Amino acid sequence: MIIPGPLFIVGALLAVAVILLLVRRWTGVAAFVATVASSAVVVLLLVVPLDRVLHLPWFDVLLGAPLNVRGRFLVIEPVDVLPMVFMAATSALLSILTWRLMLRSSFFSVAMASLALLFVALMVGQVVFAALLIEMAALLMIFPLHEPVRMRDGTTYGGGVKGGLQYMVYTSLALPGLMIAQLLLAQYEVLPGERGLLQTATLLFVFSFGVLLGAVPFQAWLTTVTEDGSPPVVTFLFTVGLGAVWFLLLDYLESYTWLSEQAAFSTLLTGVGLLMMVFGGTLAAGQRRLGRIVGYATLADNGAMFVALGTRREAGVAVALLLLMARPFALGLMMLGLDGLRRLGRGDDDARRLRGGAWKMPWRALAFMMGGMALAGFPPSLGFAARWGLYRILMSQGTAQALLALLSGVGVMMGLVNAARLLLSRPQGSREIETQADDPLVLAFVVGLVVALTVLGLFPQLLSGVALDVARGFTFYQP
Amino acid sequence: MTFVSWLERFSQLVSLPAAWGIFVTGGVIYLITAWRVRFLALIVQYLFVGILFLRVFENRPEMAMMKIIVGWMIAGSLLLSARVRTDALRGKGGLTRRWAANLPFRVVILATVTVVAQLLAQRLVLPYVTDELGLACIMLFLLALLFFGTEEKDASAVGVGVLNLLSALEIFYLAQDPGLLVSGVLMVVNLLVGLVTSYLTVTEVVQ
Repeated sequence: MIIPGPLFIVGALLAVAVILLLVRRWTGVAAFVATVASSAVVVLLLVVPLDRVLHLPWFDVLLGAPLNVRGRFLVIEPVDVLPMVFMAATSALLSILTWRLMLRSSFFSVAMASLALLFVALMVGQVVFAALLIEMAALLMIFPLHEPVRMRDGTTYGGGVKGGLQYMVYTSLALPGLMIAQLLLAQYEVLPGERGLLQTATLLFVFSFGVLLGAVPFQAWLTTVTEDGSPPVVTFLFTVGLGAVWFLLLDYLESYTWLSEQAAFSTLLTGVGLLMMVFGGTLAAGQRRLGRIVGYATLADNGAMFVALGTRREAGVAVALLLLMARPFALGLMMLGLDGLRRLGRGDDDARRLRGGAWKMPWRALAFMMGGMALAGFPPSLGFAARWGLYRILMSQGTAQALLALLSGVGVMMGLVNAARLLLSRPQGSREIETQADDPLVLAFVVGLVVALTVLGLFPQLLSGVALDVARGFTFYQP
Repeated sequence: MTFVSWLERFSQLVSLPAAWGIFVTGGVIYLITAWRVRFLALIVQYLFVGILFLRVFENRPEMAMMKIIVGWMIAGSLLLSARVRTDALRGKGGLTRRWAANLPFRVVILATVTVVAQLLAQRLVLPYVTDELGLACIMLFLLALLFFGTEEKDASAVGVGVLNLLSALEIFYLAQDPGLLVSGVLMVVNLLVGLVTSYLTVTEVVQ
């Protein structure tokens, strides 16, 4: 019996999700199983060609075989392989990093289920199902997003639930646009002369993806989620969740070539992207809450990806993908830092109330700063290499856009420097600040990520080649 | 006359009052915070939505029945979570209100939205759906915006807003493409929204 690849991968992930729910009490086991499962998907997709039958003891698997679900086909296209690898690898990285941060959490289980749903969204051809699956994955992630944080002494603390509410509202607002666009496309197949249908569909696509990716003026959810959501879950949403949305956007640009052929397409992407970068950089500069700095830095980073796509070049697509690949390392570090500093403030991440925090938890403060610098695009980091590529492309078109993009990074850095100044200052009346003992494993993760980020920053070709390979799979900008 | 054709005729007759009924029950949820009243209003609202679903799925009344059952299940979960929340608030010495805060302001907003809904229904003709279904879509969409815009701290009200948005989308989309698979997935999304809303309602007060 030959099992189609989509059924095997999605079924396995869902089965693991159920197992993880049962073993959530044993956090180490759950983190290990989640990491192994995600890594196995990475290996499977990288090693086994789509057209070769994989012989297993009980059955055979053909990754490239389509799965028929009531007339709708799920299929792993060659262009989807590397995006799926990125999402699974990021999920594996986050599962191991979260091991010591979310005790007895449903995160591991929900992350596996969400990953399965996001994979199906990439595999399914119809926009309507992809939109609904993205919505389902987003809704599932709200459960661990607002889990109370358990301290080592057994006490718990938690933030508000506004982040989850806004995330639910915004992802739901994106749904009608995508579903109605599907109706219009179906009608266009019957009436190919009606160009108005395509224009309306384009507007709906732009609106929906703008909402899903937190484009200005729909950016509120990004910062609200980072403000009161659990840092590891937020990192999952901003890397795997947003990554799936980006890859879906690239898939649609590839499938519906008329989308990128619209006259205003490039101007719109560049304009919205620059607005997001300026908005994110400016607001990050004035922030004192660490969670909000993460949100605005991500907004600016998303803006940079829009600008890169708006350049209408294959190199631009590669830069956008490199920015996305750099994000798990940068946000992973920020997550480790933010988690520790929030625990120090018992849920409060206002830098003014965490004065001296950098002396109490030096490694966590370092992690937050290093991750932030990488997300802002400062050296030595992979984020810098990606932003440098963007600046070079923009410079070839004119200095104004490149300058604005550069200034947005400076804005995020200003926010980080202000936070660092407060975290390093000693609280009034205190002479000595005692350093708090931190989990050695978390410190090992911090060191590992700092090393990885720096090495990849010094040798960006290790990942830029992969980004270029993925970009070549999308041919919508090729002449 | 068969039962199905009788149902079809019934839904044709009452679909305009049902559209307005949806709006009135939404208004009740907007103005009154007592969870028993909200629960009853939501139950009645899903009954009206079910009646409109009879128009969408003309020969498959079981789909309308499914929609009503799913809606009532969600209403039940919201009722339970609201009860837990109220008990927890009382335990903490917090105040629980029967009427929503800023009631006069809400009444004015609701009156304005009613006028806007009426004007939109007269001037905006939605494609693919009949006038009554179009009016219901507009009503549900406006209610959703009302809940999103003014209830950002009340998890259950925001959840009802999302459910209203989904109902509008279901009526509009399924009228054109009444596939079983997409209907099923939409119902799962509805259930998930209900669960998330219940979870957030309880979590907010526990934390």
